[in-house]
Amino acid sequence: MIPVALLVTVAVFGLARLSPADPVLIFAGEERDPVALEQIRHELGLDQALPVQYVAWLGRAVQGDLGRSFQNHQRVMEAITERLPATFELGLAALLVSVTFALLVGILSAVKRNSLVDLLSTSVTLMGVSFPSFFLGILLILLFAYVIPGRIFPPGGFTPFTQDPMDNLKRLVLPAVTLATGSLAVNLRQVRSSLLDVFGHDYMRTARAKGLGERVVITRHALKNALIPVVTLIGIQIGAIIEGAFITEQIFFWPGIGRLAVQAIPAQDYPVVQGVVLVSAFSYMLSTLVVDVLYAWIDPRISYDTAAA
Amino acid sequence: MAGTTVPIALRRPRDDRLAGVLYFLRRNPRMVVGGAIVLAWLFIAAFAPIISPYDPIKVDVTNALEPPGGAHWLGTDDLGRDVLTRVLWGSRVSLSVGLISVSIGLLVGTSLGLAAGYLGGTFDLLVMRFIDALLAFPALILAIAITSALGPQIQNAMIAIGIVAIPAYARLTRGQVLAVRAREFIVAARTIGCSPLRIVLRHVFPNVMNTLIVQATLSTAFAILAEAALSFLGLGPQPPYPSWGQDINYSQRYLPNLKWWMSVGPGIAIFTAVFAFNFLGDALRDAFDPRLRRSG
Repeated sequence: MIPVALLVTVAVFGLARLSPADPVLIFAGEERDPVALEQIRHELGLDQALPVQYVAWLGRAVQGDLGRSFQNHQRVMEAITERLPATFELGLAALLVSVTFALLVGILSAVKRNSLVDLLSTSVTLMGVSFPSFFLGILLILLFAYVIPGRIFPPGGFTPFTQDPMDNLKRLVLPAVTLATGSLAVNLRQVRSSLLDVFGHDYMRTARAKGLGERVVITRHALKNALIPVVTLIGIQIGAIIEGAFITEQIFFWPGIGRLAVQAIPAQDYPVVQGVVLVSAFSYMLSTLVVDVLYAWIDPRISYDTAAA
Repeated sequence: MAGTTVPIALRRPRDDRLAGVLYFLRRNPRMVVGGAIVLAWLFIAAFAPIISPYDPIKVDVTNALEPPGGAHWLGTDDLGRDVLTRVLWGSRVSLSVGLISVSIGLLVGTSLGLAAGYLGGTFDLLVMRFIDALLAFPALILAIAITSALGPQIQNAMIAIGIVAIPAYARLTRGQVLAVRAREFIVAARTIGCSPLRIVLRHVFPNVMNTLIVQATLSTAFAILAEAALSFLGLGPQPPYPSWGQDINYSQRYLPNLKWWMSVGPGIAIFTAVFAFNFLGDALRDAFDPRLRRSG
């Protein structure tokens, strides 16, 4: 993982240097005095060779210093940590919605195979993966904030949970559903196909043969085994949720790190974009690592195999 | 062999061919539906200048914000531009970005996968670490980062989405190469003195083709969705040129006024295009590998 992490930092550093714009001119704002510009270039370390710049940047990054925003000169790490709780809240809510619905509908769909529920769930799956999240978000805003009388949910914005919990939750519903839909479709398909696969195994027949009730057979025997690939998939879906947050936060004016990055792009505020991309990539890598650990915990055979090898 | 019965053709070949086609269509409805929608969008993209009823960028304020009706089937936007025309023209952007970026990913990814799988050793290790690094980024965020660094232009969106697509092809190809590398026909080719390039191109590559066709179809769906997302964020083609994602973003300001038609047209266009490529990809995967046919 360490070589990959280092390559990720090289890529993030290199991407910011790909830009044709001179970062000194952006950082200087209105200032055009050549002596002052040279001074800024020196202070930012941009007059040094690229490898030297990279090592210096990496050295600062591991200490949590991702530079300063070109727009308002705020520390990038400070800007990210200010907005991270909002992104985390939205991501967690979306993951909860996605996993809960995927499990409930997926189980029902597999148990009642070829029923109306199954037909509906497979249609939702097929449409969910093809439906652009930003279009869904706009339809939800139109419907729940403007068309249905009484304005059930606000069209956007954010109120901290500590300030007004009810308003916070009300504003969370539409973005969470928007963000959850894509991963919900993938998770639902996985739960259903994993369960159908498990239903064919001998131990399921044995469990039924010894007289266990259907509920126990499904929850104690089928679900436990069917969940293994689902957990892996949820790990992958965390990546989808991080990237989806970029779009969803923009639609719903949700002040998270995705919106921070999207607003920084037209202003060519590379330290901010670089910082958010780096944090996103590392969060994604960390989540896949956690899933790998969870995977071994859920299925002890994996650890035994490793020990035997 | 005297006295052997020779089979006699009881039906004309043309009838057989027609029956074969009909049988195939009956057996693969998903491929037919997906393929038909894909072909329809390709036709629209190719002939948009001819079939479009209006000019996509010409401002006509006298007809601004008209709801769907006889003259404008999908209504008009705030500048009086016909939404249907912009949707038809927008397909040129989406499909060209989809096809070109997938070609970039396919060419680079497949070459890397073939070389890494066949050569092995340090080259394989280096390529796979590079691929792992690309996979460490959530795909869309990497595309956003690349496009924002290169500048918001359609060509840069193509490059960004193409780079994001590389890992899937490289991994797939490498896996297939490793699977066939030790097979007898490869050993035989090596024994008779074939060059590594000839072995890879003539003997290994045809074995990977089916998997790559499926992957290319599915990644075109992703590419269209990614292009729409980049355009939505202002990183695709710039106004006034029509683009589905950008038009949806633009329509957002008219939601409180209930001008829903400005976003519905491009939204449905993205959905049908992505859905068709996904549908076709799934059907092709099942057709090429009967073991993957769904049980449910």
